[in-house]
Amino acid sequence: MYLICGVIVLFVAIVCVIFMVRAYRAGLAIGMDRTKMKRTITASATFAVLPSVGILLGVIALSGSLGTPLPWLRLSVIGALHYETQVAQGAAEAIGLSGLSAAEMTAEAFTTIALVMSLCIMWGMVFSIFFNKKYLKRLGSPKSAKTGGAAGFGDTAMTAMFIGLVSAYIGSYIGGFISGGSGGLLGFGGSWLPLAVVLVSGAVMAVFIWLAEKKKAAWVESFSIAGSMIIAMATAVIINGFVS
Amino acid sequence: MTEKTEIFEKYNNRTHVLGRTVCSITLVLLLGAPFVMGMHLGAMPNLPAAGKAFLAVGIVWFVSCIAEYLVYTPMLGAGGGYLAFITGNLINMKIPCAVNARDIVGAKTGTPENEIISTLSIATASLVTILVLAVGVALLIPLQPVLQDPALQPAFDNVVPALFGAMAYKYFRNNLKIALIPLAVMSLLFIFVPGLISSTSFMILPSGAIAIGIAFLLYRRKNDEG
Repeated sequence: MYLICGVIVLFVAIVCVIFMVRAYRAGLAIGMDRTKMKRTITASATFAVLPSVGILLGVIALSGSLGTPLPWLRLSVIGALHYETQVAQGAAEAIGLSGLSAAEMTAEAFTTIALVMSLCIMWGMVFSIFFNKKYLKRLGSPKSAKTGGAAGFGDTAMTAMFIGLVSAYIGSYIGGFISGGSGGLLGFGGSWLPLAVVLVSGAVMAVFIWLAEKKKAAWVESFSIAGSMIIAMATAVIINGFVS
Repeated sequence: MTEKTEIFEKYNNRTHVLGRTVCSITLVLLLGAPFVMGMHLGAMPNLPAAGKAFLAVGIVWFVSCIAEYLVYTPMLGAGGGYLAFITGNLINMKIPCAVNARDIVGAKTGTPENEIISTLSIATASLVTILVLAVGVALLIPLQPVLQDPALQPAFDNVVPALFGAMAYKYFRNNLKIALIPLAVMSLLFIFVPGLISSTSFMILPSGAIAIGIAFLLYRRKNDEG
């Protein structure tokens, strides 16, 4: 089982290296600054460490019912932390188990769940195969630039979309605190910890940005997200210790 | 066409060929793995049950995949897009990571520079995840008690709020006019319809649409004044 999953994970790791080397070389060929590309790599590596540990916890959480190799494969390739547990649970129920439990798991149920988990989330890849080239060409075509300056707006639109994404999550923490948990609607019975973590993380980020902009410490930018996250996550442990 | 544009065009075309090829291979491997596991365990997947399960839980994710594809592909570009859809974890890692990298080096959407930065960023993040998971799985027995220590659980339960708190400050501070309304609308929606909290990933679409709408109005106004 480890071998089956390991081969696929290794294949994907090699694909990542190939894409990375090609992009780096193409960047040099079109005259991009080497330092910028190295900063991108450093910033992305530090950025990814903590979420990766979070994903590892997802592997551990699922390993109780599905063993270790399958969750390892699923969360290394194509999977998503918020998706895997829900789909594995739903698939287990749909094939007649009372839930995702090791006690009820049979070999047939296991392989069926593994197939359903792949079937449900593979569509982004399928669409990429069939539509990526046309879709990106259309977005970058001169025609779209003529229609009301849409190309010039592209950069702002991407930032706005990201702001929308973050707003949805922060809104869910606010809603969860005010109307979630045992308190019910407007009962303030939900957990305020995620909201506190958001605030601490934002405050630490403000300090990092201040250091980068006012104290000319540009190097902190590469570590600012990871640093903010560590401090905010540590705060969550401390707050929880005090509260309980 | 300048020499640099020509080099980039060639690179981009090859990226699509490579991307399609590796996506196809990954799909075959992923769909084939349960059957190979079945051969190893002596129990093949039950196809009618898998079909039933897909109809029960998969349709929602199919719709979600369409939305994710349409929204995130322009952010990620060609190379980054193929890689991100192969390696997954888009919302909680790849998208913020690529946006952060783009911001640090000041790359603009749709430019060759953005394409390169996005690919480098997502490839690096994916490799880090693969490495952390591989090491974590190898050390699962000694690591498990530490990672599952109840005292540390609040930290790991709040990885996403910690990520979005930092990103919110970074992006909201220069775009308060864009951020205020979607944040208020989403907060009110989740307060008065708390059942939606479990569907937050689907609420990104209306929230993003509001933010883009406001950004477009501000953009038009700025252009009219200019």
